Amino acid sequence: MEDMNELEKIAPKLSKMKKEHPFDVPNHYFDDFSARLHTKLEAEKRVLPKQKNRIIRLLKPAIGLAASFLLVVMLVYWPINSFLPNILSKNTTAETTTIEDEDPYRAIIERIDAITFFAILEEPAQEPSFDDEELMNYISSNMSEYEIFLETDQ
Amino acid sequence: MNNEDRELIAELKKEGQKDLAFQSLVKKYQERLYWHIRKMVLNHDDTDDILQNTFIKVWKNVGNFREESGLYTWLYRIATNEAITFLNSKKRRNLMSLNDENDYLKDNLISDPYFEGDKIQLKLQEAILRLPDKQRIVFNMKYFDEIKYEDMSKILETSVGALKASYHHAAKKIEEFLKNSDL
Repeated sequence: MEDMNELEKIAPKLSKMKKEHPFDVPNHYFDDFSARLHTKLEAEKRVLPKQKNRIIRLLKPAIGLAASFLLVVMLVYWPINSFLPNILSKNTTAETTTIEDEDPYRAIIERIDAITFFAILEEPAQEPSFDDEELMNYISSNMSEYEIFLETDQ
Repeated sequence: MNNEDRELIAELKKEGQKDLAFQSLVKKYQERLYWHIRKMVLNHDDTDDILQNTFIKVWKNVGNFREESGLYTWLYRIATNEAITFLNSKKRRNLMSLNDENDYLKDNLISDPYFEGDKIQLKLQEAILRLPDKQRIVFNMKYFDEIKYEDMSKILETSVGALKASYHHAAKKIEEFLKNSDL
């Protein structure tokens, strides 16, 4: 009622109009609607995959890849390992290299502890001590006369 | 929410009873939702499509319905959103301006074989379809369906004050249009 009074004030022409819907629907529309909706819903249900299926569908590529990898391993590695175990063991030994082979200095450094390592670093470098006679002996035994001439000429 | 709706929701959430309960829900609410949608899009065929989509959405999402609002409020909200989405997609597809949209809706109304209004009712509908979407929804819900602002507020998720203002502006615009038409 209050709303009607308000409408009369703001829109007198509108308030005098009949509140009727000018729309109609086809005959038996509401009787048939439920059945038509049911048909559409059944179609939707077929399109909609179940949650569990959806997860499987998402994981399918990964599962396929893993299965292929496993198959390759089964077909190649397993027969070789079973029938020709020596080949595989040889290859494995040949490919194994220790750190000591690769870098002996690294192996030494890895074996010493931190305190020793820093103690070595902090030791003053020792000046080489030798006399003239030792120097002459070293040069005469390791260098030719021509090399000595070239060095002194420079 | 009334007890009947509460039971209906409980049955809808049980896998074995879902289909039967859904049929009851459709029977109970199809007409009210139809008229709500029809007033927004005007044409019967469009309304039929939107109503079907509304119920399919209800069927898919009823498991997530948390019963914070009434069942009818929830259904009304879905129907309103579906109708707005339909109108917006139509606008985008046809690159319509507001005037084009008005013309489209008017043509849709006149060509609809299920429109049976006289000259005055056609003028009133023309005035209504000239309103912006939100004002049109509020006006229809208040003027024709006499829904309380409080209920409307829950359906449209808008404050009561804003709804009152929308209705006031809509009524004034319609009055202005009717005055300028020779009625």
